[in-house]
This record gives sequence, C-alpha cells and structure tokens, in this order.
Amino acid sequence: MAAELTTTLRDHVGRETPLYFAERLTEHYRNKSRTTGDGPEIYLKREDLGHSGSHKMNNALAQAMIARRLGCSRVVAATGAGQHGVATAAACAKLSLECTVFMGTTDIEKQSSNVLSMKLLGAQVSSLEGTFQDASSEAIRNWVENLQTTYYLSGTVVGPHLSPVMVREFQSVIGKETRKQAKRLWGGKPDVLVAFVGSGSNALGLFHEFVGDEDVRLVGVEAAGLGLDSGKHSATLAVGDVGVLEYPGVGPEISFLKETGRVEFYTATDKEAIQDWRGIIPALEASHALAFLDKLVPILHDGAKVIVNCSGRGDKDIDTLIKRGNPSSLSRVTKINHFSLNISLINYFHVRSKSLATMSLMIITVLSGTESQRLWLEKKHY
Amino acid sequence: MATSGTASTFRPSVSASSRLTHLRSSPPFKVPNFTPLPSSRSHSFSVSCTIAKDPTFLMAEAEKTKAAGSDPTLWKRPDSFGRFGKFGGKYVPETLMHALSELETAFYSLATDDDFQRELAGILKDYVGRESPLYFAERLTEHYRRENGEGPLIYLKREDLNHTGAHKINNAVAQALLAKRLGKKRIIAETGAGQHGVATATVCARFGLQCIIYMGAQDMERQALNVFRMRLLGAEVRGVHSGTATLKDATSEAIRDWVTNVETTHYILGSVAGPHPYPMMVRDFHAVIGKETRRQAMEKWGGKPDVLVACVGGGSNAMGLFHEFVDDTEVRMIGVEAAGFGLDSGKHAATLTKGDVGVLHGAMSYLLQDDDGQIIEPHSISAGLDYPGVGPEHSFLKDMGRAEYYSVTDEEALEAFKRVSRLEGIIPALETSHALAHLEKLCPTLPDGARVVLNFSGRGDKDVQTAIKYLEV
Repeated sequence: MAAELTTTLRDHVGRETPLYFAERLTEHYRNKSRTTGDGPEIYLKREDLGHSGSHKMNNALAQAMIARRLGCSRVVAATGAGQHGVATAAACAKLSLECTVFMGTTDIEKQSSNVLSMKLLGAQVSSLEGTFQDASSEAIRNWVENLQTTYYLSGTVVGPHLSPVMVREFQSVIGKETRKQAKRLWGGKPDVLVAFVGSGSNALGLFHEFVGDEDVRLVGVEAAGLGLDSGKHSATLAVGDVGVLEYPGVGPEISFLKETGRVEFYTATDKEAIQDWRGIIPALEASHALAFLDKLVPILHDGAKVIVNCSGRGDKDIDTLIKRGNPSSLSRVTKINHFSLNISLINYFHVRSKSLATMSLMIITVLSGTESQRLWLEKKHY
Repeated sequence: MATSGTASTFRPSVSASSRLTHLRSSPPFKVPNFTPLPSSRSHSFSVSCTIAKDPTFLMAEAEKTKAAGSDPTLWKRPDSFGRFGKFGGKYVPETLMHALSELETAFYSLATDDDFQRELAGILKDYVGRESPLYFAERLTEHYRRENGEGPLIYLKREDLNHTGAHKINNAVAQALLAKRLGKKRIIAETGAGQHGVATATVCARFGLQCIIYMGAQDMERQALNVFRMRLLGAEVRGVHSGTATLKDATSEAIRDWVTNVETTHYILGSVAGPHPYPMMVRDFHAVIGKETRRQAMEKWGGKPDVLVACVGGGSNAMGLFHEFVDDTEVRMIGVEAAGFGLDSGKHAATLTKGDVGVLHGAMSYLLQDDDGQIIEPHSISAGLDYPGVGPEHSFLKDMGRAEYYSVTDEEALEAFKRVSRLEGIIPALETSHALAHLEKLCPTLPDGARVVLNFSGRGDKDVQTAIKYLEV
C-alpha cells in the first residue's frame, strides 16, 4: 500500500510540493526591520498547490485507502470550513467509496462553494443544527451505527486514539519532504518552522519530522480573532485551560509539545492576517502564520532560514476578504454575524411596520451579503 | 540559493537560416477581413500580400512549402514573417512594428541565455509547482472499457495543479521575466474568463510590476470573483464597454493601450493568437507541457502517446501539448472547440469548424464572421473558449491535416464536468470539460490499449457556481 500511496500522492495530489524561496517577502523584511545585514531568509512550503488546495488531501487519500483495504464501502466525515469535506469527497470519488459529510448549518451557509464542490464530487452532505463540534459528534454516531460498512475519516489530530497518531503520520510527508528539500537547497536544516495551529494537523505534519532536532525552533500561531482580550478568538493554547475538550480545542500531541516547551505558541489577529502576500493568496489560516513573521523576523540572526507552512490557498476565503473591515471574528469560537443581525433587525421592524428601515436593511443585505445570504433573503421575502 | 535546472523551458523552433532581416516583414497598410471567393475553399487559395524587394525569393519559398507537403519536419512554424503557411503574420499599425521586432529579438537572445533559462526553470519549479503529473485516470479508463474488456488507456496531464489553477501561468511567468529584461515596468493584458488576468496579476505581484488588465464589462459581471482576485493581487482592472463588451473588445482595447505606451509597456497576450512573435512565443512558453509529457510517457510505458486531446479557445494549452509531437506523425492530435448551443444554432465558438479565413487582432486565421466580414459574437458556457478567432498555427495544422478539430456543446461539456468529478475526484474547468466530453465519441473508435493523453488545462472551482445552475446534484 505504501507504493500505491506514494504514486497517488505524486500523480493525483501533485506531491512533492515545492519549498519556495519567497524573494519579495524576504526583501520586505530586510528593508523594514534592519539597518544593516541581510536578515533571515523566508521559505514557503507550498501545501496550497496540492490537489484540492490544502494539506487535507494527504490524509484523506491515505485513510480512504485504508477504508478500502478494510473492506468498507462507505466513509463518513465531519467538516467545518469544508476543506476536509472536499478532500474526503475527492478521495472517495477516486476510490469508488460512498461518502457522507456532516456539516453544521451555519458552516454550510458560509461555505456554499465547498458544499457545492462536495456534492459535485458525489458526496452526500448531511446538515444539522450547530457547528463543527456537533457535526463531529453526529459523524461518529453514524459510524458507530454502521460499523460493518462504514469508516470514519478524521480530518485532524484531535479525537480519541488512533486519530491523532494516524493523521499526524499521513501529514508527516510535509516535514519529510521539507528535510530533503532544505538539504538540497542549502545543505542544512531549517532554523525556524512556523505553522498555523487550528486543531494542529498541518503544524504537526511539518513539525513531527523535526521534533528530535533540538536546534530547530518550532513556532505555532493561533488565531487571536479580534484580540486576546476581546473574548472573540480561538487561541486555545495561548489562553485556554486543560480539560477534556472535543473541539474547540487542539490535538493532544500539540498540547503536550507546548507543556514540554518544545513548541512555542503565539497568536495573530484577523487584522494582521489580511495583507498583501505578493503573488500568492494564502488561506486565512496560513495567513496567520505569515503574519507572525512581523514579530519574529526582527529577533532572528542574519541568514536564519525560516520555513512557513503555506497550508492552503485562499480562494475559499474570497467572500470573507470582500467583507474585509467587517468586525466579525474569523474564528469559530464566537462571532458577530452581521447577516443574523440584519435579519433579526428586519424581523423586528417588519413586525412593527413595513418601514423604510426594513427596506434599507434588506438593501444592505442584498448589496453586502454573500450569494447564499441573498438566496435566503429571496426565499423569505419574495 | 541553488535551483535545479532540470525542468526544460522554451526553445524557439525557427531555424537560424530562415531569419531574413533584410526583407520587410509586412505591408504598411492594414489588410481588412479577407473573404475568399465562394467557388474555392481556403486551402486552395494562396495569399501573398507582402512587399518584398526580391519577388522571386518569395515564390521560391512558396514552392518549398508546397513541396514540404506532408512532412512536418520541413514545415516552417513559423517562417521569418511569422507565417504558418498563409496564416499568422503581423497585421498591425506601424507604431507597433518596432515593439514587435524588439520582442522577437529579445525572445531569441534569451533562448540561449543560460541565466534566464535557469531563473525561469527555478520559478516554474518552486513558484508554479512544475512538473505537473501525468496521471493515469483509472476510473475513466474503466468507464470507457468495452464489453469485451478492450479499450483505450486515459492519462490526464495535470495543468490544474499549477499555481492559480490553470496552464496560463506558464506563459505569464515567462513573459513577465522577459518584460523585466527589456526594462519595462508596466504590464497590460486582456482577459475573458479572468484566468489569464489572474495569472498576469499574480506574476506582476511576484515581480513587483505595475499591472493593468482589460476586461469586457459583461465578462466582469460573469466573473466577479476573478475580478476581485486580480484587485487583491494589486492589479487595476479596467472595464471595456465598447462593442459587445467581451474578450475581443478587451483585446482591441489592450492593443490600443500598447500602441499609446509602447516604450514603457509590455503586453502579455494570453494565447497563441495575435501578431508575430506572440503565437510562436506563447506556444514556446507552454511547450514545457509537451516536453514533460514525452519524458513522463517514456518513464511510464516506454513509448509515446497515441492520441493527444485538448480544448481549443485561442489554442494555447493545445499548442503547449501538441508542439512537441508535431513531427511525430504517428501521434494523433485532436483539438476540441465549443459548440455552445449547437453548430446550427448560430450560438457557438467553433471557429475551425464553422469559420472563414480573415484577419483579427493582428493575425490571419480562421474566425467567425458574417458575409460582410464583421465578427460574429461567439457563445460558450465556458468563458475561456468564448473567442471568435483561433491561433494561426491551429488554422495551419488543420489545413495541413496534421490535427483534427471537433466540437462539443454546452450540455455535453456539463455532463463531462459532472462525470469526471464523480469518477476521479477532480473537478475540471468548464473549458477542459469540452476535451473530456469528446472522449465519449473518441474512445469507442480507438483500438485496445491505445494511450490517450488529455491536457487537463484547469481546475473547476471557478465554475462550480455556474455549473450548479444547470446540473442536478
């Protein structure tokens, strides 16, 4: 199976992904934060170039192959932003497996493109009230009810054993390639590795290979949303407490690495994450890791080699970016949803009177809402 | 920083002996749309409308082309005037002539410039993500397997995996590098679907160049997301409202801008159309697709492909795959155009099937025109194939019988879009879906074990919202 997986990763997913020297970013930091000296060199591990646009595919394909080997005909999964859902649907299509993806209704509304992609790829999308947390529970429930035929495809290093180890193993191809590429490019190891930490899969995928190399610094960046003091963030490791969390939380191995001090954790806000990345539109998650460079670079020595895991491309985030400046947090923990605010206000005024205020709010929603929001509005009011 | 130079890059195909600089390469007047006499079809007509100091030399050249006949190795692709047979050339205002010669000279000199080649190879590898895989499509192959177990083997050349999701970036990156070498700081481009616009904006951001994209106002509405992407990457997007406000008008506007700003500006044309040297240059920048394919085919099955299939709008992805194999006459080449609502509906973009010879955007080629020589507005569900012209080299290959051209309707393309997503877990661009749809007609006619390489020119994320209006999922 290892040979089959390698060939599939190469021909279907497009591995190995490049280790790209970000010339303009390096130059930007050289001019910005130093008066003398060359500054560090910034490299991007281009997981955004993998099929389906993120690192999620590495794991989805490998697990789908296991499902087939186990004789399962059906796969269930849960997804939040939709990337894991799309990767799972794609892997199942390729391997002729039936696929059901569980997704919370709030997420379905926000990620209509991903939902459509999943359906086009032949997956069934099962919606339920709630968020990723609830979708995960439902997926596991479904798995337990159909153990003979069904395989539960976990997308991340969270959850009960074996998930964390398995997903980490399949994502560790990222780190293995990086070691080889670093050797080829400059004959050594990286000095610093930086990765976004949501639940931890792309971070562990890059870090795992280097955990034993004490001279390689490992930096995880979480989402600080509107800021750590605002209460609207998902910086679990920076601010959270130890508990038995399903999600929002973070993988157990990552928590362990923090406890032992092997990995350092910082945060980046929404505002810091939205910048001009010079010819790449990274996913918002990856942008957090890139944003942290602003604080990291000034304290590094000249010629230090920094590798940032560019874990996904940002096409899925265009709708969000269009509404840039919107004070909603981009994290999953708490959010102000302008859409729901508009609708509740519309309902309020509608009950009182068919007023100008109602019309204005409807117009605002039509002008600034996403397509799914507009469709919702059409259905309700016309 | 060391970069590996193993990825092969462009090499111009015109031999040194045919570069005759002492002859003027085009007339000082603009030739209007050319409609052949009703009695003869275009391939028996030979056009020579260039003024040469030595007319006997031209006649000798024409004789040579006729004699070359069916041996592709003797064909000049293109000749010194930028002609592929009678197609191609440089039908442009005088102000552009110098810029075009300068471009041609720069292109030839960079072909032998090792530094440039190394830099380009490095960018193609680490920034664009080449080489793209040659992927054996197991479930598609199974789908086309006949009852007796026989059938062709389908391989997909994965240009969808490139940065920005299509083959367009190969050309954009190379031309941006070339522009920098020429000292130009300002880049302009035209775009229809937005993919070439996004690729251009991307490389300009990468190289720190000013970027202006011309896009038809109608297209801007249809492709709002791509417009936003271009702006996010720092480009200025200018809407064009003249004519039918689509790709052909955007191209005309871009050419107008270039005429005005020729000293400071480089025009990154997005396809193998336009005046010489663009058809040759864009083809050579995309030829990396075909070169990789040859190597990968040798590695995978120790031979060459039997059939090459690609969709044709302007023709760049097709030429990128075909060019390497034109001299291998046992390799069959098939281009697939957009038949829109059907060839008889009048709403299609099947230029090579239904068009006539004329001049558009600086080159002589087949184009969709009415009896008065006015351009007919094309239609296709896929914006990238929605062009009323076609690259002159495709016109040439068709007339010489080297390549075959067919067409596929919107409906057939949508079916293929859904089918390939379900079978292989890869969502194709609607443009690519046209090539995939043609497999339905092609595969039953192929012998057992025939190896088909299809250029998977782009991914379909950009088309999901459009497709969903027509498909039931």
